[in-house]
Formats: sequence, C-alpha cells, structure tokens
Amino acid sequence: MSEDLIIGIAGSGGDGVISAGESLITAAALEGYHCVMTKSFGSQIRGGEASCRLRLATRPVLNPNGPLDVAVALNWEDFRRFGSELPVEAATIVIYESNTGVAPDQLPLPGVKPAVVFSVPITAMAAEHAGTNKAKNIVIAGLLAGWFGIGRESMLAGIRKKFAKKGATVVEGNVRAFQAGLDFTAANPLKEDRKLAAPQSGGQAKLLTDGNDMCAAAAIFAGCTFFGGYPITPSTEIMQFLDREIWKYGGTVLQAEDEIAGIGAVVGASFAGKKAMTATSGPGMSLKTEILGLASLAELPLVCVNVQRGGPSTGMPTKAEQSDLFQAAFSAHGDCLRPVLAPTSVADIFGVTVEAFNLAEYYQTPVIVLSDQEIAQRKETVDPIDTSKFQIIERRHPSGPELANYSRFKLTESGISPISHPGMVGGNYLCAGIEHNEQGRPTASGEMHARMNEKRFNKFNPLKNRRDLFTIEGDPEAPIGMVSWGSVAGVAREALRLAQAEGLQVKLLVPRLLYPVAETVYQDFFASVQRGLFIEQSYQAQLYRIVRMNVDLPAQVKAFAKSGSNPILPSEVLKRLREMVVSIQGNQQQQPEAVEN
Amino acid sequence: MTTLEAPAKPISLTKFTAGDFKSDLKPIWCPGCGDFGVVTAITRALANLARPPHEIAFVSGIGCSSRIPGYTTAYGFNTVHGRSLPIAQGIKLANPELLVLVASGDGDGFSIGGGHVAHAVRRNIDITYIVMDNQIYGLTKGQLSPTSSRGRKTVTSSFGSLEDPVNPLLYVMGYGASFVAQGTPADMNGLAKIIEEGIRFPGFAFINVQSPCVTYGMEEQQLKAHKTNMQSLEAMGHDTSDRAKATELAREYGTKLYTGVLYRNPNPPSTYGQGVIERHEALKKSAVPRHEILNRFKPTS
Repeated sequence: MSEDLIIGIAGSGGDGVISAGESLITAAALEGYHCVMTKSFGSQIRGGEASCRLRLATRPVLNPNGPLDVAVALNWEDFRRFGSELPVEAATIVIYESNTGVAPDQLPLPGVKPAVVFSVPITAMAAEHAGTNKAKNIVIAGLLAGWFGIGRESMLAGIRKKFAKKGATVVEGNVRAFQAGLDFTAANPLKEDRKLAAPQSGGQAKLLTDGNDMCAAAAIFAGCTFFGGYPITPSTEIMQFLDREIWKYGGTVLQAEDEIAGIGAVVGASFAGKKAMTATSGPGMSLKTEILGLASLAELPLVCVNVQRGGPSTGMPTKAEQSDLFQAAFSAHGDCLRPVLAPTSVADIFGVTVEAFNLAEYYQTPVIVLSDQEIAQRKETVDPIDTSKFQIIERRHPSGPELANYSRFKLTESGISPISHPGMVGGNYLCAGIEHNEQGRPTASGEMHARMNEKRFNKFNPLKNRRDLFTIEGDPEAPIGMVSWGSVAGVAREALRLAQAEGLQVKLLVPRLLYPVAETVYQDFFASVQRGLFIEQSYQAQLYRIVRMNVDLPAQVKAFAKSGSNPILPSEVLKRLREMVVSIQGNQQQQPEAVEN
Repeated sequence: MTTLEAPAKPISLTKFTAGDFKSDLKPIWCPGCGDFGVVTAITRALANLARPPHEIAFVSGIGCSSRIPGYTTAYGFNTVHGRSLPIAQGIKLANPELLVLVASGDGDGFSIGGGHVAHAVRRNIDITYIVMDNQIYGLTKGQLSPTSSRGRKTVTSSFGSLEDPVNPLLYVMGYGASFVAQGTPADMNGLAKIIEEGIRFPGFAFINVQSPCVTYGMEEQQLKAHKTNMQSLEAMGHDTSDRAKATELAREYGTKLYTGVLYRNPNPPSTYGQGVIERHEALKKSAVPRHEILNRFKPTS
C-alpha cells in the first residue's frame, strides 16, 4: 500500500498530459485524498513540452516536490527537458510509450536504472479502443487508476460527463480506452502492492482549486467590488475569475490599457469608497510602483497581488521565484511603508487575501500580497473553510461631528484618520500626491512633512505585534530554527516532519507578514536558537537579508537559497539540519558563507 | 439620481453660485495665467449644473493646470503625472452617480499621459476631460511641450524643436470622440458654456482650452492675441453634427483658433456605465452569497 505517491507525466503539448493529471486529481479529491498538482510548460503558446506533477496522499501534503514514485513519459525528449523538475530515481516506477522505440533497460536517464519499467503502447491502445490518438490521456488515467487504485468510478463518471456532448460512440470509445488501461495493469501487476491506502480523514470530498482562483474568491468574500488590471503571466487567472464573478455583486472588472492604468483605476475606485484590487507579476509591479506611492501618501486602501515569477525583467514568466520581496517592501521613492503578506499554499491564500483587504481598509494603505507561480497555478485540495471565522474590516468613516469640521489627515493618536469619499456631505477634501497638512492642503513645510511621515509610519506599529500572522511549529525550545515563507514553507514543513521523525530538535517559523519586520517575533524565535536557516527560492535570500537589517540575529543563522524553478527538496533541507546538529555537538566555530546557493 | 447620463440633474432645489465651488486656497499660478480664467469658467458651469460640490470628483495629474481641483470645493484628487484619466475612470466606474471632471495640461495629457486618451475615448465613460493647452511646460520653467510648434526655441530646444507637435483636436476626433470642443479664457462666457455642455453630454467629452502661459508663452499665444484671432464656430455657422467638417477644422489646430463645439455626436452612443448597469441587472440574480463563493471549488466528476 502507498500513503503518498508522486507522479510525474510529461509529453508534447497535444499529448493530454495535463488533462490526464486533472482527471486523476479530480477523482482523488472526490474520494477525500490530499492532492497537489503542478503544471509546467515550455514557453510555447501551443505545442511544445508539457508536464504535470501530481502528489496524492492519505494525509495533508505540504509541497509537490521530491523524486518521482511514478514517471510517465510520452516521449523521452520532452520528459528530459524538465530536468530536475521530474527527478527519476532507482525506486521510481517508469511507464513509457512503447513507440519511443527505447528498450526498457536502455532508458535515456543517465546514471539511473529504475527497477520497475513498463513499456506500454499507449497511442496504439488509444487508437484501437477509442478510435483516436487523442484518448492517450484516458489510457494513462486507466493505467494509473489500475496500478495505484485511484478513483476508478469517479474517473469513469468523469469520462461519461466530459464526452456526453459528443455522443454515445465517443463516450463508449473513451470508456473502452480507460478499461484498456485497467486491463493492461491487471495483466502486468506490480510485484509490490502500491495502491493508495484510504484517506486518513475519511472519504469526505475536498475543495479543489488553484491559488489564483482562491485569491480571487477571497477578494469577493472580503467585499471587493473593483478590479483593474492588465493580463500578465502568471497572475491573469485572478482577473479572469473576477470577471466571471464580480459583476454579480455589483462590481466591475476593468481590463486597462496598461499596468499603470490598471492600478490607477483601482486607486480611483478606492478614493470613491470601494474595496479595490489589482493583480500582476514582476514587470507589472515595476510599472505600478509610482501609483503605489500615491496610495501610500494619500492613504488610500488597495490590495495589489504580485504573483512572483523569475526575474529580473521578463525573466522566467512560467516559473516560480521568491525574488520580489525587496521590490514589494522597498520600491518607492521617499520614505514609505506598506504591509507585505505572503500565503504558503492554495488554502492559505484565502485567509491571507482577506487579511490583506482588512489591513488595507483598517490602515488606509496599499497592501501587497506576494503569491508565486507555484501557489497561483498549482491545483490543490483544500479542506472546507469555515468562512464565519473570518472577520471583515471596513474603513473608518468620519462620524457626523467629525464631518462638521472635517480634517482628512487629522493627526490622531493611532495615526489613523477617518476617511470620507465623494458623495459624503461635508467630507470634501483635496486628495493628493503632494504632501499635505491635516486638512489635505498642499504644504512645503518640513515640519508638517515630518509629522505626516511619523503618522504614516507609526500607524503600522500594532501590525508588528500580530503574532497570529506567524506560525511556529516544532519544539519551541529547539536549538535549531528554520524560517521559510511562501510556497517553499511547505518544503520546510516537510523537512521539519522528517527531522522530528529522526528525533532532531528543530522548529520552524513561517511568517505571513513579511514586512514590516516583526522584530520581537524573530527575537523570541531565535532566543533558543544556536543554528538557524532561512530557506528561500531566490538567489539572494531576500527575507533573510531584510530580517538581518532589522533584527540582531545570532551569527550562526544562515540562508539556504536557490534561484527560481530549481526545486528545494525536503531531503536537502534535512541534510543541512543534520549538519547543524553535528555542528552544535562539535561546537564548531566555522563560518560558512552566509547565503548558500 | 439613478441614471448615468444625467449628471446635471439637481438633487436639491438649492441654487448655487460660482462662489460655492471656489475654495479659499490661493493659486500658485503667475499673475495673468490663463488658468485663472479656466477655474472661473468651471465654477460658473458647475453653478449652472446645480450639483452640490460633494457629488463632484475633480481629478488631475501634475502641472500648473493640475492644481485646479484644489481651488474648487469639490472632492479633488491631484494625482501623479499623466494618470488622471485612468484614475478618473476608476472613480466613475466605482460610483457612477458622481460627476467626474478631469483637468490636465498639454504635457500631462498628451505627452506622459497621452497613451490613456485613446482608451478613455473608446471606453466612452461619462467623464469630462478639460486640457489646458499652453504649448509649454510651465511648472518646470519653460521646456518644450508636445504641442509646441516645430522650430520653437525653449530651454530644451535651444536650436529649435525638430518635432511636429501633437494636434489634440485631431487626435481625439480620430479616436472617435463624441464631444470635442475648444475654448479660451479670452471668451469667458463661451468657455463656461462649452464646459457646461461637455459635462451635460452623456459620454466622454473633450475640451481643449487654449490657456496661455504668461511667463514662458509667446506673444501670439496670449489672451490679448486670442481676442483678435479667435473665430467662433457658432458665428461661422458650423454644423456640430458634421463629423467630416469638424475633422477638417481640427486640422487647422496651431494655425487657427476656433472656439466652441467642434463636434457633438447627434446620436450619442451608449456609455460604458450604461453597459455596467445593464450587466449588473442581468447578473445580480446569479450571485451566491459571498460566504458561499468557495462552493465554486467543489469538484465534480
């Protein structure tokens, strides 16, 4: 039996690789398994190579990484293009298309000799049973359902539904193709039973979605009624989801002429009193920077989602990276502070996005949500979310007496001044990018500028005490501490689990609030720590550097960082944790490079 | 106040004067600046429209002209350079019941923000775009602007400009605008009138105002010269519904100073806002309660 299966499928764009993965994950989600599926493509719009990694498990899965338990290759050239994204080891069960002409003992996988290899005439089976090569994905689904016991009935129901419109002949052809896959596995059984065990949480169906759709749904839940943006990979699905839904709630989606106009319209909508949002990726963030500064100075709420991809410039549009934190925190001229939040999973982006709206409205500020390509575009099962546990915060409007002699930027103790909007009698004021006094009148007074800066910074002080925006797992007194954020936090969590299973004393800090840096949270976390490790998917380890700027960390806190799309594996992290244990025991004083790439 | 195309509809019987729309903020402009006349014309037009100041959002970018919102009692938004149009469109879409005015200059509107004009026109969101065109960058002290004439010597064109100027009237006609007008503070009544008409027009309205820079402008661009040069389109008997003729007259920008309405589409096309209202009406019944939105993600086989 298997508790956890990682399946990688690769082929050409037309091979139905993704659609095979989607059939499998849908079936598994319906049966209550915990699943994650990532897709990876070449940069071609159509055709080119395509792959998916599918992880199916009986308990929560924390990341899609690690060597494959099962590899499916429709052709070897495409499979090998994914390199370290689809790592094959000796223990990997390899299934490949016979017509590649490769002998089972001659697989083009240098240095690896998988023990279990099946050459399957996938295309021929599709053609024979369904009358079309297009049914290759159905044959693959049948093979995987047979060998690994995934959702046979759900998949058959799915096939019937999917092809219903095309008539009974097509439906039955595809059902036969699926059965042919099953029959092949019956005739060629695995020596060891690798069928998935029953899900631990019972068979309750889970939600199944990706991070972009979840983010957009959270925006609707939070009361967002305006989205302005411009299509950019890998964020566009947020705009697409909202375009399908937001109109029903009296909202509007504006596909603007450019990134600047997109956030411009959002600032306008916020000024007019609405909860508003934009979403983009690196190059778009660069363009939006000036208007983000306007929103900071004019104290207008807005949520800006940056679905990070590899950079700088066009960089790697279809690959995840955590390299926009510096930009999110610091890309503004002048003294400026804006909160930066990051979700760690598809499920997590719901709460993080709702929180972003709450912070934006409460503190009257732009808030940046740093998602990344992996969370955004991976499909993941999500346990049902109890939305009644989420509070929705609205901006503080001036009361009647406050409107009688209204000062939009009144210097209050909290730094938060009641905000009016057009249409509100008595709330009229001049909103501007130019420095202003309490009434909103332009000023060139250095004294007033200093006081307004102080107001705009001090209002965020309570945010640094929001310990609920951090999770700490593991032994609180452990001498080894990891910090990780975003999608990579899932890798760190798995490493923690592995380390604990070996009896190592380790703990993990996962921040959702990246900026401003909550100094005391890090100080407290590192108080017991003799060896620390930040784990990040970027060349520079940007969180590590930002925390170092703000917190006096022990010298033995280092970073383990990799540039985008090179998977960080739990086993690699575990190796470093073991080394730290040895280092503490030997009390070695060696000082390795601060950032290890 | 439920229709989008009637911003002039009063919500109360209160009578307003131009003074009700003037703030007590002292303008930073040079004495004799054309923009003084523009703010006066705008406040006169607003008094006639009888919409109270709190229902007006007045948006601008950066430049001498963009200071205008602060000199009125409306909700002003003095934004960043070149972005007044997208921001104003966001405001209007967020609250269609507001009267949304945009003030800009030749640099703000046709150089750094020039890319937004075509899109504002084609979306036909019901806002009024008033550009104070003085053919120079005044706030930064006298550099070449996109409407400066070829050969013009400025501090950034020491040997004369090598570029042809933008023709704002022709561009906007070309983009397909339904309301295009030009005025000058040399004719205050005429200017106030076209601003009022522009605001009343149901859809995107463009008004180019020849508003001279007294400090860096040329003599032939001053109000004194306008008084003798300007030709009233109305007096010429121009048919404002004649698009071809309007385009022909627009070509003479830079050589002739026509004032009044150049083009007004006799059959105004539907605005973006009307489309939004219809869509909201059509879709509102299919909304699930916001807290049930996650049901969208229940897998089905």
